[in-house]
Amino acid sequence: MKLLIVEDQVKTGQYLQQGLTEAGFACELSADGETGLHLALTGDHALLILDVMLPGRSGWEILQAVRQAGLATPVLFLTARDAVEDRVHGLELGADDYLVKPFAFSELLARVRSLLRRGAAGVQDTTLALADLRLDLIRRRAERAGQRVDLTAKEFALLELLLRRQGEVLPKSLIASQVWDMNFDSDTNVIEVAIRRLRLKIDDGHASKLIHTVRGMGYVLEERQD
Amino acid sequence: MRRISLGSRLALLFAACTAAVSLGAGVLFTQASEQHFIELDEQLLDTRLTQLREQLTGLQTRQQVVDRLPELRSQFNLQTDVALRISSGTGQAWFESRQGLPDANQSAQLKTLQAGGVDYRGLSAPLIEHDPQSPQLTVLLDITHHQHFLQSMQRLIWLTVGLSALATALLGAWAVRRGLRPLRQIGAVAASVNARSLTTRLPVAQMPEELAQLAESMNAMLQRLDDAFQRLSAFSADIAHELRTPLSNLLTHTQVTLTRPRSLDEYREALHGNLEELQWMAQLVNDMLYLAKAEHGLLVPEQQVLDLASEVDALLEYYAPLAEDAGVTLLREGELVIEGDRQMLRRAFSNLLENALRFAGAGGVVKVGLQAGGQVTVANTGAAIEAAAAQRLFDRFYRGDSARAEGGAEHAGLGLAITRSIVLAHGGGIQVECEAGWTRFVIDFGKGPHSGPKDTSAGLTRNATP
Repeated sequence: MKLLIVEDQVKTGQYLQQGLTEAGFACELSADGETGLHLALTGDHALLILDVMLPGRSGWEILQAVRQAGLATPVLFLTARDAVEDRVHGLELGADDYLVKPFAFSELLARVRSLLRRGAAGVQDTTLALADLRLDLIRRRAERAGQRVDLTAKEFALLELLLRRQGEVLPKSLIASQVWDMNFDSDTNVIEVAIRRLRLKIDDGHASKLIHTVRGMGYVLEERQD
Repeated sequence: MRRISLGSRLALLFAACTAAVSLGAGVLFTQASEQHFIELDEQLLDTRLTQLREQLTGLQTRQQVVDRLPELRSQFNLQTDVALRISSGTGQAWFESRQGLPDANQSAQLKTLQAGGVDYRGLSAPLIEHDPQSPQLTVLLDITHHQHFLQSMQRLIWLTVGLSALATALLGAWAVRRGLRPLRQIGAVAASVNARSLTTRLPVAQMPEELAQLAESMNAMLQRLDDAFQRLSAFSADIAHELRTPLSNLLTHTQVTLTRPRSLDEYREALHGNLEELQWMAQLVNDMLYLAKAEHGLLVPEQQVLDLASEVDALLEYYAPLAEDAGVTLLREGELVIEGDRQMLRRAFSNLLENALRFAGAGGVVKVGLQAGGQVTVANTGAAIEAAAAQRLFDRFYRGDSARAEGGAEHAGLGLAITRSIVLAHGGGIQVECEAGWTRFVIDFGKGPHSGPKDTSAGLTRNATP
């Protein structure tokens, strides 16, 4: 799974490369538009992360050239400008997502994973499971160690999200957006409370905890040996 | 190409007018004097002709004329400007009092004739009336001196035209300069405007009527510039001020951490501390940019039909766990359907709800009321907001309780400012009122959207009622 980052800000590029590499992706980094375009057209990338303002060629021009070459590689734009026209322009040209600086790395990582998963949307699952936690999507039932757990609709949706993306750190903003459709930075205490309540129902009384807080980043559902 | 100046243009126009008027007057005068001369000449010639006819009564043959030649010669030698020709009925000249007289048609009308470079006027008459065979008398008057007079008259007229045009141009230029002084004043004021003197205004009362409107427009423009500039300055100052604390925290914390070797846990702790500050700063910058967009009118809401009841319910569901933990009851009353931007309105309401939850306190109630007239109220029980605080509630970075200024605030005091921006962008108004133990934020979407242009900038539509 190889990603291409085209970003002229040296530090930003390096940090992104480091972060994504450590998250398990192979990353190529280019600091100018021309090289970036060349790499995008010749390399076999699973995802392009493009800055809009680039020397040589803008991110938009790269995207245009890539689409003209018949490549459907997903593209995530990074930009310091947040004008609605910019967003619309990018999406019209065929960008798949758009992140405005300053953004949290956890947010970027979550979006990258979403985009990579989108292409590989396989068979619709009917049950999701992790360790002894099971979620029956059709009957809307949750079980932990064979014991039925009563969840509210939103708690169910939250748990479904965590299970679908188990092992990934999900930032609070992403949870608010996916579960409650709150697409702005709202008071994230709400997510904390919601997670705490879900924990009470899922993890309380079980030796192995599944919901974990990653401080400063978000929450992750995974089985930990400790 | 630079266009000719207003002053020169007016001066030239004045000069042209004067030239035209004086030229017209001159032409009229010339014609009148010429006419006058003609009348004088006719009278004179007529008189002379009558005298001569009496004097020469009975004259019929050439011989008789020759006989009277000495008498006629001596008579006409004395008169230098009048000449006489006597000719036969067939037009043959019998006598000419001087040489080089023009040939005259036998005419009883006054004629202007020319011969040998001299102008004459002539009048003819038969010596014996009603007799075609009668000799003809023609009296000719040398009018050279008249013509000289008229020519010098014309020269004088041209001179007058030129001089008066010149004089008017000069005087006009001076008058225009004086008259346009208010314009130069406007120019001078405009030139003196810079970032530090946006308070300069033109004295409209002293302006002439024609310029008063221009001056007023210019003052209005200066006012808008001033407002925008003040907002911008306040904006930058606010940002700098708000970023100063987290920045100095970051600097101090990082430097202190680096002064000596520490355990891995301490480093991790330090980074976490920094991360919190940085997230706060990122949030602040994002919110400020949102407000900046709003203040520049770039916040353009989509217009979709929204059932606010279900929107509010979704929000209440979102905040339910938090409210439950805080021991606050959340309620929604009424129904309302409006056109607006779903995400923006959610954001606006959520800020109000967060604010209400914060101040309701344990055992309190937060009630969202939807009224068909386009009103949305978010009310919470709790201590009343002080009048002074209510005035500033929607200001950037204003925090209801100073304790919250010491960190912990998720929204750095921008929540209500953002809410107001969104409401204004929807053409509505928001105000806060406190009564009988309730603090009530009232949003009115009903007023405004079609009642003239809306200023979405901050600080203009605040109707906080204490």
